[in-house]
Amino acid sequence: MPMGKNIISTKPTTTEDTNRRKFLLWLSSLGLFGSAVISVVSNLVFIKPRATYGQPNRFSVGKPDDYPPGTRIALDNHRICIVREENKIAAVSTTCTHLGCIVGLSETGFACPCHGSRFDQDGNVTGGPAPKPLAWYKINLAPNGELEVDKDAEINAGTYLNL
Amino acid sequence: MRLALAIASLLILVIHGLVFYDQFFHKWEKFQTAYFDQAKVMAKSESERAALDGRSPRIEQILVTQFGEMRVDRCTTCHISADDPRFEKYAHPLKAHPFSAALGDKEINGKWERRHKFSDFGCTVCHDGQGRGLKEYYGHGKDHYWPDPMLGYVAQDTWRAEYKPKLVGKGYMEANCAQCHTEENFASTPTITKGRQLFFEKNCYGCHRIEGISNGTLAPDLSEVGKKFKVDYLWESVVDPRANLATSVMPKFNLTDDEVRALVIFLKSRRGINFNETSLERYRARIEEKKPEAVPVATTTGTGTVVPSTVPTPEAASALARGEKLIAEKSCVACHKLGDKDGGIAPDLSFEGLLKDGPWMMKHFKDPRAEMPDSIMPSFNFSEPDYQAMTDYLLSLKTPPPTTTAADTYKNLCARCHGEQGDGKGISWLYLDPAPRDLTKAAFMSSKPDERLIKSIQEGVAGASMPAWGKVLNETQVRDLVAYIRQTFTKEPARVMAAHQVPDQNPITMTPDSVKRGEQIYLMRCTGCHGRKADGKGPNSLDIIPRPRNLRNQFFVQSMTDRRLFDSILYGVQGTAMPPWIDYGMTKNDVGDVVNYLRSFNQPKK
Repeated sequence: MPMGKNIISTKPTTTEDTNRRKFLLWLSSLGLFGSAVISVVSNLVFIKPRATYGQPNRFSVGKPDDYPPGTRIALDNHRICIVREENKIAAVSTTCTHLGCIVGLSETGFACPCHGSRFDQDGNVTGGPAPKPLAWYKINLAPNGELEVDKDAEINAGTYLNL
Repeated sequence: MRLALAIASLLILVIHGLVFYDQFFHKWEKFQTAYFDQAKVMAKSESERAALDGRSPRIEQILVTQFGEMRVDRCTTCHISADDPRFEKYAHPLKAHPFSAALGDKEINGKWERRHKFSDFGCTVCHDGQGRGLKEYYGHGKDHYWPDPMLGYVAQDTWRAEYKPKLVGKGYMEANCAQCHTEENFASTPTITKGRQLFFEKNCYGCHRIEGISNGTLAPDLSEVGKKFKVDYLWESVVDPRANLATSVMPKFNLTDDEVRALVIFLKSRRGINFNETSLERYRARIEEKKPEAVPVATTTGTGTVVPSTVPTPEAASALARGEKLIAEKSCVACHKLGDKDGGIAPDLSFEGLLKDGPWMMKHFKDPRAEMPDSIMPSFNFSEPDYQAMTDYLLSLKTPPPTTTAADTYKNLCARCHGEQGDGKGISWLYLDPAPRDLTKAAFMSSKPDERLIKSIQEGVAGASMPAWGKVLNETQVRDLVAYIRQTFTKEPARVMAAHQVPDQNPITMTPDSVKRGEQIYLMRCTGCHGRKADGKGPNSLDIIPRPRNLRNQFFVQSMTDRRLFDSILYGVQGTAMPPWIDYGMTKNDVGDVVNYLRSFNQPKK
């Protein structure tokens, strides 16, 4: 008997066989490709940490009654300034848009002690190197009756919360 | 091949998917979504609804910097509505934290206001638990290795099953209130107040030290015990002192569960940290730390007179009653035996009036080691009238147990220390130093003549717990007892020993030179067992039973005649590890120097 007979199958290839092979190929590709997609997605999501060890970006600043109408109080540890006018309240960032210094309160608004940037009451630039106005943050009245500032949410300047 | 590849790649996909699901779909997201949905339904204004619309699930975090080390509390990630009073009736984790006047919350115009705001205090300051954990298992501290599981809420799987239900309850949280509210009798921590009272009532303070409260030295320092141990360990240690340390000498106090709970909460509050104080203040407080005042007890009369055992006068009767009450209240029977109560550690007091006299007792109360250098009895700080009342009461106990036969005598008087089997292992042997003599040791017993044993029984052994039974037993009874012991335990008659050539008096006169020579010889020959300090705790002493004598026990050394010391040193002590030093070339002059050396630091106190 010639050797070739053993090695090369003489059985003809049927369509059934081809289908099975194609199906298995399809399954393998799905598995490997799917894993690859999940990996890529995971990596993209993992790049941004879900929690950091800094002060949280949403925090409570006390009751509205703590800020009588007409007050402007800078909370340096949170780097914001609470502005209250009559029944309207807002939180303005005190982080300078120039190099990130903490701006102080001045007669006319805010002033950076380091590089001389000046802002008006609403945080618009009136002088100095600052390129952008100060950010305004979203402020809410939490169910427990306290004000809650969310530094993750910037809002348009001049948007107050009505109490 | 293709089939295997297909299966393998699908398996990888599944595993990948599971990991992805585990990492990106959290329970807390569901809780937060549920909260947002519910809150939106409850919202009264459009702006409120809009604010909720803008929020999406994320890890909430409170950073607490004012209390001890910085805490990261992420508890509000799941308990997101903890500060939303509308969720009062909801189930955990969405249940709102209740308001409580006991916690200092105030109701103003129908609206409650918190005394301890979450934004300032966080959650773990009061509740314990692991603030960083985002899964229930870790957050609540069920992890065996997390030292502070949620107090009163979580019972760990590893805790002893019978204690588990007892370790749950809001009361345990008081332990954390006391981190800041350290003042005594703080109204909101009644259990701690009770625990502190028990700590004094049960005389724990006599042995244990707690910074700023007590100064005991016998037992472990409990100043930071709450930091080191979980409540299950504390409970176990209070209820069953031997559970964690087989050699513990702490008595069993047989407390009720409520009492144990109060003590455990009090102990858990001892964490060595007072969040109210700066480290400088703590340092100053430690410098000014004063000894605790004696526990104030309403005093009536301390007559100081020995009360006769016959009909007591009414006045004396009340003093006796007070003494009896004190002895009962101060947990003396946690160690001692008195009547049918028995702590199993210290001597029987049931007929103490027959054995000791008033001055001895007063001295013993004030300084337990005054007459018994190795006594483990703590020095309690009672008032003088209290000591007097207790002494009067003990002196009135003059009813000896029935001693009709020698066997009865042994059972009633001797067995507590020397053991039912006479092997020196009675219930209290472990706590006595010197240890009770092993009466079955024939080598020792048979080398001692009857007269010597009779004398030890009648007059007691100075500096040891062996009392002078001559005050209870007459000579016939003692002789019968010795015969009984020899017959029952030793099982060998006294040998007639060849007379030893020992002088009655030390022939070497006590001079500084002699003491110095004696010290040299002592250092060369004796320190291996008796120790460099002559306290019987030399390096070999651990392997030797009976233990080498404490040669600084001045009452014992003083009671020894020169003759006996010479005999013991030159010819050894049969049945013990003490060898006959005459075999190792020690001369009588050497022994004389050693005796002088021993006597030099065992002079009676002036």
